[in-house]
Amino acid sequence: MMEIWHGITKAAELLTTFDPEVMDIAGRSLRISVTSSLLASLVCLPIASLIHFHSFPGKKFLISLIQTFFSVPTVAVGLFVFVLFSRAGPLGGMNLLFTPTVMVIGQALLITPILLGLTISALSGVDKALVDTARSLGANGFQTAIAVLREARFAVMAAVIMAFGRAISEVGLVIMVGGNIRGFTRVITTAISLETSKGDLELSIALGIILLLIALVINLALSRIQQR
Amino acid sequence: MKHRGIAFLLTMAGLIVLVTGMLGCKESTASPLPPKQRLRVATTTSLYDTGLWGYLEPMFEEKYEVEMDVMHTGTGIALEYGRRGDVDVITVHSKAREEQFVAEGYGVERVPFAYNHFLIVGPPSDPADIKGVSPEEASKKLIETGSGSFVSRGDDSGTHSKEKAIWKKAGYDYETVQKAGDWYIEAGRGMGPTLLMASEKQAYTLSDMGTFLSYKGKIELVPIVDRGNILLNVYSAIAVNPEKNPKTNIEMANNLIDFLTSPEIQELIGNYGVKNYGMQLFTPCAGAEPTG
Amino acid sequence: MALIETVDLCQRHGERYTLKNTSIRVDQGEVFALIGPTGAGKTTLLRLIDLLDPPTSGKLYFDGMDVTESERLRFKIRRRMAFVLQKPVVFNISVFDNIAYGLKWRGKRRDDIRDKVNSILEVVDLTPYKNRNARTLSGGEAQRVAIARAIAIEPEVLLLDEPTANLDPISTAKIEESILRIANQHDTAIIMATHDMAQGHRLADRIGVLIDGELLQMGDPREVFNLPSSREVAELVGVENIIDGVITSSQEGIAVIDIGGTAIEAVSDYAVGDKVSACIKPEDITLIISKSASSARNTLASEITKVVVIGSLARVELDCGFPLVVLVTKRSVEELNLGSKVKVYASFKATRVHTIKRSEGN
Repeated sequence: MMEIWHGITKAAELLTTFDPEVMDIAGRSLRISVTSSLLASLVCLPIASLIHFHSFPGKKFLISLIQTFFSVPTVAVGLFVFVLFSRAGPLGGMNLLFTPTVMVIGQALLITPILLGLTISALSGVDKALVDTARSLGANGFQTAIAVLREARFAVMAAVIMAFGRAISEVGLVIMVGGNIRGFTRVITTAISLETSKGDLELSIALGIILLLIALVINLALSRIQQR
Repeated sequence: MKHRGIAFLLTMAGLIVLVTGMLGCKESTASPLPPKQRLRVATTTSLYDTGLWGYLEPMFEEKYEVEMDVMHTGTGIALEYGRRGDVDVITVHSKAREEQFVAEGYGVERVPFAYNHFLIVGPPSDPADIKGVSPEEASKKLIETGSGSFVSRGDDSGTHSKEKAIWKKAGYDYETVQKAGDWYIEAGRGMGPTLLMASEKQAYTLSDMGTFLSYKGKIELVPIVDRGNILLNVYSAIAVNPEKNPKTNIEMANNLIDFLTSPEIQELIGNYGVKNYGMQLFTPCAGAEPTG
Repeated sequence: MALIETVDLCQRHGERYTLKNTSIRVDQGEVFALIGPTGAGKTTLLRLIDLLDPPTSGKLYFDGMDVTESERLRFKIRRRMAFVLQKPVVFNISVFDNIAYGLKWRGKRRDDIRDKVNSILEVVDLTPYKNRNARTLSGGEAQRVAIARAIAIEPEVLLLDEPTANLDPISTAKIEESILRIANQHDTAIIMATHDMAQGHRLADRIGVLIDGELLQMGDPREVFNLPSSREVAELVGVENIIDGVITSSQEGIAVIDIGGTAIEAVSDYAVGDKVSACIKPEDITLIISKSASSARNTLASEITKVVVIGSLARVELDCGFPLVVLVTKRSVEELNLGSKVKVYASFKATRVHTIKRSEGN
């Protein structure tokens, strides 16, 4: 008990003095996850629109498949990315293993199923009559898609925020492909994992508090959006 | 009105988060010089958990103007990374596997640079009554009586290899040991975490002297068996062979090996921890194979 | 040349034909009302004209151009039309942005859009709601937004699907007023589906009667409402008295129809022996107490079977050898002391009897 209390007080000290190591790790977590969320959104939103607006054989199966991948274990994706980018692997020449870049790529890959699935869901929630209305007002295919996305904007925003939440709180993938290198690829989750296993609770608790704060902000934002 | 309040709070929280992000952003400060080279080192956990790498890293980085990435892996993983060329240097402590690594052409040369001893540590109550005996006898007693728990690294590390070697010397096939009973626990973790676990469970474990000493304040274990030739623990550095993996930074790797075996650094390694722990954590051995 | 012309348009939905061989023409500046019961195919036809759905068969011409030529052409033509759906559907953005959408998609300049939308807001009387989220509006207000949205793009053809079906009388009046103004001021062709006969009568230059996917009659309101071409049309437009009989004599355009023993005179071109249905609108029949008070050719002795007062009018059902329904004022009911079993004379002019030829088995 004393140990925990001691850890908390030390953690408070680290936080209030903006301890450089804590800030470095937290900042990196945010940068990597924000980047991966934006990257994935840029790719997934158009693809989700394409899937939603067109009918093709196997569409239902594809959507089922996407939903199956919602809860793909992060270590599985991590292993896949590791093997891909290892110098011994096909993309080894890009020299990206154990860098923040590959962590962004890995996280983006990880959250793609969620983003695709939830965006398609969001678009499906829009009244079909609106699509007819847009067409009858003279919107071409692209303009119609944008109008529907705009209509579903709150649900789409919720999807992006949820994806971000998943990205920033996962451990398995970023440890495997990032290597948890201090000052370079160490993020909140991997740092907590390492420091706790070494018995150094102060840094872990400080980072844990920050992670909880981030989760809190995410949830507040989500509930605000879902009220609309 | 209430909604405005929440929106304001959210924006504030968002800004705080953003500011935190910016503060940690030392990489974004524009630098007129080209980005530094990086040297990747995969290390056994005992060199990391003792803080030795944390101590030496800044010195090396400054001297050679390079960014060093030290990865807390464990011997088994380090060897794999070395084979794949994902790191430039490995520092491990498993002689047989190191020699095989070099023989297979993955490593350039095995360069021992420091050593200490393993020891079996355990609870002060010594439930299996093995204090002071030889490692082989201790193993026999543990497996035959099952009167004490033993936490194994279980992670293919140098320490784990040593543990397996001890069981073998005592006459037991490792598979038998694994199935011997609930008293044998495979942790699958680094040295520090394994010590913590053993302490929690009031169990015995095999540890290197360096990590044990540096964890003294955190665990309730004491040395139980610390005599025996088999307990010698030699740390070597091996540069990854560019012939098998052309993308590795062989030049900087060799710099690191020179650094580790240089007289000044050897002295520093020898003195590391003396102030804090009252005894040496590592004995330097500059490239030569120690005997005892 | 007609602006819109359909030739033998057919639409099939699975096994059923929702539209069969429909051919209509609508000119610039004309208000064409499509009347018919729910499910008659009005929405189907409107959707086909707006090029939202492709027809199973048949042709469609816009300004003389065959629309089946290419998708590009269809897109360009669709942009010259506007469609207000049955259920008012607004986007989850401000009223201003809703109305501006069509203009935005056509790439108009921001200033032009602003001016146009503001003026249209005036036309439909929605200026105070300019910045409100359209979803917060009532049904009637939302429908006005939908109409405003449609007219903002200055369409050459405006299609309306039961635009006032769910609205209160005041909103309905406002919208009807806007419709007429648009047709007159901008020469817009308006094709409007409605099941409100009176509205069709009020607004339309021409009416098309659609029943069960078939266009049964097309003509000006007077023709359709007074001279229905078939029994179904007659029933639809509110001719409650449709009595079957046989022409026994015909002279100078006046025919005598024998209805089960009772004879009535009608203006009809049909020949002796023709089986016909005589159509008389309830409001064209007067009730009198003594025979001599009327100059109408038809004065039939009858007995009242039922009187139902509805507001300031009364619906009187009586038997004069065959059942008749008469619409009189409540005042008349009181003054003549009309009630069940009372004997009166039903009087109507021969010119107000419209005959429809009966086919065998009708």
